Formats: sequence, structure tokens, C-alpha cells
Amino acid sequence: MSRAKSLLRPLGVHAALVVVVVWSVLPLLWTFQTSIKFTRDVAARIPVFWGYDTTAAAYRAYWFDDQGVNMWHVLLAVLVSSTVTAGFLLIGKRASKPWIFNLLAAVSVAASLYFLGSTWETSDQFEFLINSIIVTVATIVVSIGIGLLGGYGLARYSGRSGAVILITALAFRALPRFAFILPFFIIAKSLGLLDSRAIIVLALVAVNQPFTIWMLRTFFLEVPKELEEAAMMDGATRLQAFIRVVIPTMKPGIIATSLFTLLLAYNEFLFVRVLAPTNWTLPVGIVSLAGGESSKGITEAAAAAVSMTLPIVIVIILFQKHLVKGLGSGAVKG
Amino acid sequence: MNRRAFASFVLPSVSVMTFLMVIPLATTVWLSLTGLILRDLDSAPFVGLQNYREVLTDPAFWSATRFTLVFVGVTVPAEMLLGMVFALLLDRVRRFRSIYLAAILLPFIVTPVVGTLLFRNLFSRGGLLSWVIEVISGEPFVVDGSNVRFLIILHAIWHVTPFAFVAIFAGLQTLPEERLEAASMDGARFWDSFVHVTLPHLKSVLFFVAIISIMDSYRVFDSVFVFAGNRFDNSHTLSVYNSVVALDAMIGRLGKGHAIAILTIVGIFAALIPFLVRSYKEQVAERT
Repeated sequence: MSRAKSLLRPLGVHAALVVVVVWSVLPLLWTFQTSIKFTRDVAARIPVFWGYDTTAAAYRAYWFDDQGVNMWHVLLAVLVSSTVTAGFLLIGKRASKPWIFNLLAAVSVAASLYFLGSTWETSDQFEFLINSIIVTVATIVVSIGIGLLGGYGLARYSGRSGAVILITALAFRALPRFAFILPFFIIAKSLGLLDSRAIIVLALVAVNQPFTIWMLRTFFLEVPKELEEAAMMDGATRLQAFIRVVIPTMKPGIIATSLFTLLLAYNEFLFVRVLAPTNWTLPVGIVSLAGGESSKGITEAAAAAVSMTLPIVIVIILFQKHLVKGLGSGAVKG
Repeated sequence: MNRRAFASFVLPSVSVMTFLMVIPLATTVWLSLTGLILRDLDSAPFVGLQNYREVLTDPAFWSATRFTLVFVGVTVPAEMLLGMVFALLLDRVRRFRSIYLAAILLPFIVTPVVGTLLFRNLFSRGGLLSWVIEVISGEPFVVDGSNVRFLIILHAIWHVTPFAFVAIFAGLQTLPEERLEAASMDGARFWDSFVHVTLPHLKSVLFFVAIISIMDSYRVFDSVFVFAGNRFDNSHTLSVYNSVVALDAMIGRLGKGHAIAILTIVGIFAALIPFLVRSYKEQVAERT
């Protein structure tokens, strides 16, 4: 093989990967461009690629009712609060008690949202963002909480009923939303839970449970039995051994499963649309907004799309390794 | 672990699944036999198999079934093929790997309804790709009933490929280096090692990806609803047809809607039962 050829090969692979990257990110990049353009450039017959004037008007229209808001101030507030949050998380990584700093990070996110909402006249979409965050966090906590118990039981019990539960769960994984959603609607209506966040969280926890127990079980199978057996020899009950010895080794599994649950809850459209006539989360808000075909509607929908995607991109970049590992282990052994 | 401990550990999970999935599902079966409508939830007159008869003779149902099968039949193979190509490419490089990885994962985390917006933006007036098409074909490109199916499928492939990619990529990482040592990128030798070493190693991963993807694309709703919703009746999948009948029509025919849901479930299980039986046998075998 000639030397030139062996040099070219990795270049060829990188070139192909660049094409793959373009395919993956082009739609979002184009929409980002649209979101900062003036409407005259958006409607141009030949797309404007460069040198156009930029504006934050679409973001202002999406997030605020008061169209006199100075977006530089908003940007500054968002940057300051993300810096503070990131700072807490970074310190927490090295501190001996990381949970204190993680808690502080969560408090700073909540405080920033409260500050943004009380300083400026925000639009309905801001309410939907708060709903999205509450629904997502609650779904993760409840799903993982009961999923950990179930996944552990299924990993350690060797009776036949374990197999029956697992296969039933797998079968439920295949069901379309319409298998349950109309009964949910009727139940919610009779209990007066319609339009509440609780009913959405319940519905999401239910449809997520099959996946949660399968994935957590896979991670529990990797934890050696000897670990909890040793603790139980020392007099701990199984539940104590589970909480003090097994759970701490499960961090990667919990993070990976939480990420998938986060995507499920944050992205959910149908349940919210049916079970919450007015108390929406972001996806339903965006769809209601994207109905219009006018240029102004297009830039605002683009700003909405970017606003909704950015937080999730940051979370996923932070935890990318866990996501890959989680999917990998589920796929290889599942 | 003994039976009692097992029962208490799985109790929360099992009760959630019983109360929020099994019982609603049973309710769905029962309601599919009634003439329930959204406007009047208090009376549910029993109508027997009337709803099923109506659904099975509704041309819109068969149109939705056909498009759902086309959708699954195109999306799943395309996703797996692209995922495989992406994974093989990324497996070859070390430099910039995490940057490539982050970019390839992006479509997977974009909310489906947002993803449809992104694609509409590319193909609408003033959009990048509608302009490219106009330059190539010489005619202005407008999204209409004849090409919206193409957009729906293109978006679906874009959205789900990262899932297949990550699973396959993770599978490649567990492939022992020595077995590939003889193989290299050039020509026949790469192909040989791919067919005889890589593919057999990935068999169970590919099986897993195929099953999950078939489940998910069969019941696709969000993106198709936003693309085709009230405008393009010919591009409804079963779930969208279900929503139109049960929720969006003037009266909201819940009885008929439930019948559609049950028929949809029967469809997916007809395809999945051999797989479920196989998994059950594997699970039982693992335990003895």
C-alpha cells in the first residue's frame, strides 16, 4: 500500500463523518438562523445565508407579553444564572458532600426562574416551561423510585413469575398511547384531576415503567450478589443492604435511565394535549403556535424550537457518556 | 431472594402497571363495544361489534393501515442501515470522536414536534432545501398532499437513526480487536470481515434495535400529527386516524376510537407474539 493512500483513508473517513454531522445538525442550524432573522429575510425567495441583520424579536415575542423587554438584560440574567448553576455543579464534583452543591444548583435554577418570571411580564409559554420542568422532574423521581425496587427484585429473583412480569412489561412497551389514554381521560375527569400536572405525571410513570424496570434490571445484574450478601451477613435486612450497599453502586444506571425518562417526559405531546386542556407543557404550546404560516409565525416558531432544544442539548452533552453506555448495555444484553 | 421479598420489591411497579395500564386497557376493550361520545360521557349504550364493523369498512382505516405499514417498512430498514454506516465510520476514528458523537446524537434528543418544525422550515417558502429543489427541478417546491409522506418519512429516519447508531456503536465496542486484526478498510477484505465477523457479533443488537424500532414506528403519532394533522388525510398513520376519530371530529366518537385502538393492538401483537414467546423461553431458560 502506498503511503499517500494510507494517509488518505482516515481523511476519507473524516470527510464522510462531516457529511454525517451536516445531516444531523443542519435542520437545527437552519432553524436557529431563521429564529434570529428579520421577517423580510425569512421570506426571501433565495435564502439569505450571510450578512443579514439579526434580531431577538422572535424570542421576545415567544417568551414575553411585554414587547418592550430589553433582550440584552434577559440574556445577561440567563448567563449569570447559568454560570452560578454551573459553578455549583463544578464545585460539587470535587466536594466531599456533592449533594449539597447539587441541591444548591437546583435552588439556583428555581430562583432564576422565579426572578425571570417576576421581573418581566412573561407569556403563557413561560408557564408551560415551568410545567415542563415540574412534570419532567416528578416523572423521573417517581419512575426511578419504584423502578429501582422493581428492577432489583427482578434481577435477584429466579422464580418463573419474574419472567412473566418482564415479558408482560415488554408487551406493554409495544402498546400505542391510545390503548390507555381515553380511559385516563375519563378517570381524570371523574376524579377532577383533568388539567392537573399530577395526572400527566401518573400517565407518564405508567407508560415508562416497562422500560424503567428492564433497563434498571440490566444494571442490577452487573452488581455482584456477594455485595449485599456480605452486608446481610453483618445483620442488615435486605432493604437496608439494598439502600446502603447496592444503590450507591448504581449511579451510572440511575443516570442513564433518568436521561431516557427525561426525554420521554420533556417530549410528551399526546398525553398533555388530551389530559390538560389549558395547563400545557412546552411541546403542546409550540404546536399551537406553529399553526400559522405567516413569516412572523415562522420566526417565532423557530425561536420556540431553539429555546426548547437548547436546555436538553446542554443536559445531554453533560451526560453523553451515560446515555451511550445505557443504550449500549441495554442493547447488548437485552 | 425468596418469593416474599420479591413480591414486596416488585409491588409498587406491578401495581402501577396494573392500575394504570392493565385496567385502562380492559376499559378500552369494554368501551370499544359502546357508542360513547366525547360530548356526553355519562351514557355509554352497548352496541356490540357495531364499532368494529364501522372501522373495518372505513376506507380511512385501510388508508391509515397502508401508510403505517409503508412507514414502518421504510423507516426501520433505513434507520438500521444508516445507523450501521454511522457506527462503522465512527468506530474508525479516535480524534474528534466525542464531537462527532454529540452531533450524531442530536436528532434523537430533539422533541419530535420540534423536529417536524425544523423540517418544515427547511422545506417551506424561503427554506434551504425547498430552494435547492427549486434550483434543481426548476419548479417552486410546495409541501402538499403528494409529497408530505416523503417529508414525514425523511424526518422519522433523521429522528430515529441515532438510536440504532448508538446501540450498534456500543455493540462494536465489545467486538474483540484481534478478530478484526486481519481486516482493513480496503475492498473485499473489509466486506469479508464485516459479513463473517462483525455482523454475527451484532446479531442480538440488531434484533433488539429492530424490535424496539418496529414498536415505536408502528405507533408513531406526534410528528405525523403535526405534519399531516387536519390538512393531509391521505398521510395519516393508525394513531393519527385514531385521534381524528376520537378527539378531533365534531362529536368525538370515543366508542369507535377505542375499537381502532384495539384493532391497532391486535395488529402489533400479531407481529410480535413469536418474539415475545422467544424472549419468554430465554428468560425461563436463564433461570434453570
